Amino acid sequence: MNIPINLFMWIMAFLPIIVLLFLLIKCGWGATEAAPVGLLITIITGIFFYKADIVLIAAESAKGIWNALIILLIVWTAILMYQVGDEAKAFLVIRNGMRKLLPNELLLVLAMGWVFESFLQGITGFGVPVAVGAPLLIGIGVTPLWAVIFPLFGQAWGNTFGTLGAAWDSLAMSANLAVGSPEYLKTALWTAAFIWFWNIIAGFAFCWFYGKGKAVKKGFPAVLILSVIQGGGELLLSQVNTTISCFVPACISLIVILALGRTKLYREEWRVDDSPIMNRSFAGGDSTTEKLPDMNLVQAFVPYFLLSAITLIVLVVKPINTLLGQISLGFSFPETVTGYGYVNDAVEKFSPLTPFTHASMFLFVSAVIGLIYYKKNGWIREGGVKRVFVKSIAMTMPSGIAVIGLVIMSKIMDGTGQTVVLANGIADVLGNIYVILAPFVGLLGTFMTGSNMSSNILFGGFQMTTANLLNVNPAAILGAQSAGGAIGSAVSPSKIILGTTTANILGSEGEVLKRIIAVTVPATIIIGLILFVMVGI
Amino acid sequence: MENKSFFRTKEGGLTIAFLVIMIAFAIIIAGLGAGSEAACMAGFVLIVVAMLYSPVKVQIYDRIRKNK
Repeated sequence: MNIPINLFMWIMAFLPIIVLLFLLIKCGWGATEAAPVGLLITIITGIFFYKADIVLIAAESAKGIWNALIILLIVWTAILMYQVGDEAKAFLVIRNGMRKLLPNELLLVLAMGWVFESFLQGITGFGVPVAVGAPLLIGIGVTPLWAVIFPLFGQAWGNTFGTLGAAWDSLAMSANLAVGSPEYLKTALWTAAFIWFWNIIAGFAFCWFYGKGKAVKKGFPAVLILSVIQGGGELLLSQVNTTISCFVPACISLIVILALGRTKLYREEWRVDDSPIMNRSFAGGDSTTEKLPDMNLVQAFVPYFLLSAITLIVLVVKPINTLLGQISLGFSFPETVTGYGYVNDAVEKFSPLTPFTHASMFLFVSAVIGLIYYKKNGWIREGGVKRVFVKSIAMTMPSGIAVIGLVIMSKIMDGTGQTVVLANGIADVLGNIYVILAPFVGLLGTFMTGSNMSSNILFGGFQMTTANLLNVNPAAILGAQSAGGAIGSAVSPSKIILGTTTANILGSEGEVLKRIIAVTVPATIIIGLILFVMVGI
Repeated sequence: MENKSFFRTKEGGLTIAFLVIMIAFAIIIAGLGAGSEAACMAGFVLIVVAMLYSPVKVQIYDRIRKNK
């Protein structure tokens, strides 16, 4: 590869991201409108400045569409699951049931916005916690905007070791870390430590946004306990078994928060009346005007119990996983080269989809069985089945275009060498100061691709090489990469769209992003500074 | 009647754009397999056109209509 790494080329590579952020945040455009513009700029810079030919651009676009389709399968099935619950009015039952179990509204918000999302992230991931969590929070009276923001915060800590360690495995793979080796365990420790730091910040952010200092004071013990279980538990388990190091603590925290609701501190009814995130008229009015189905809390949660059980069985029971994983779909792509000699290797089967072990299949099966169960009990009205499917498809379409645009954009940036120039330029110019930016590279990767896993694949090798070049601890740098990537999942437009879609506020992505950046960017800066003090000086 | 009105909405337009992108995907995959640059070009142009539907409609077309 002989792409000139200079300021001009770096600016050209950064231009699509800057324009995307500007349109989303400053101009208030929705992602459906902003993503195609970002994509267009990427195509122009790719062809005219990075010397890509039309075959390369077309091939990368096709790879992007294929990857986006896989994501959209999850979007559609997550929305389907939501529509099933909505049609049966299960969310009203969940709202009222959880209120009874957790009379303290702050604890209720923590349970529905943080702990439940962590549980979902532990087993499914890929944006499911955001898509599923947003309507649940609206159901307990959170305003739609905050109902999108909270799950984004809540799921982020679980992105590296969640989905049964998928993103962690990709980091280990791209940095050539042998499973169980001292470097592997050291990197896992750094990663889990940084993630724990973020986990605490997210917990207190929930309290702060709910009711400022008053809520922070009230929620302090709960956040501390939950964070020790989630972050601390993950840290410990990362040294034993990385596959379950997020899922197990997430499950324990779900049980613990319900137990906390019975303690002296949280068993009484408590709320901040003027909480800016709560829609009081909605929460109070609905339960009196809308007739609740004859359904208890356990019955309302049936599709979610099914989802947990199916996911665990398929992913953990090896023979079942092997059997179902035998069928995979994928397309072959030829080798492509830019005018600068940047090569994209030919692939026999690009990003194969194994439909029967894919999260969308678990969601689909759970949703369909849930629908049958609700219908058998008479909770689905006449024409409800058709309504559920039609609404789910109509809701998926707008976000589909944005997801496709963003993924193609990241593929073209990657395939034309723009991503490499972006990262190399930063390392070359900054020297050891780069250490501060290491978590930002991870964050940027997730922002662009929508996945901590992709960020680790994209930048894991680069971070390792840079750490060795700069002679700093690679385990710490890789830890910051993946932790930054996990935090980045909260600002990733494709995940935000999932939430705005199910919360029915599509087009408000900029508003969501603006509020999330206020927490994620300072947190990432602090991680970078800690890293610099510990290994960079 | 219902179908006609759906495809006149933004969601309907995006559904058409999505279908066009899927067709473009198939054309590119076929083009790459056959080594046809023309097919790749055609697929790529279709993607760009379909992707630009939303920004052009919301930020240009709708604004012009509103100003009129």
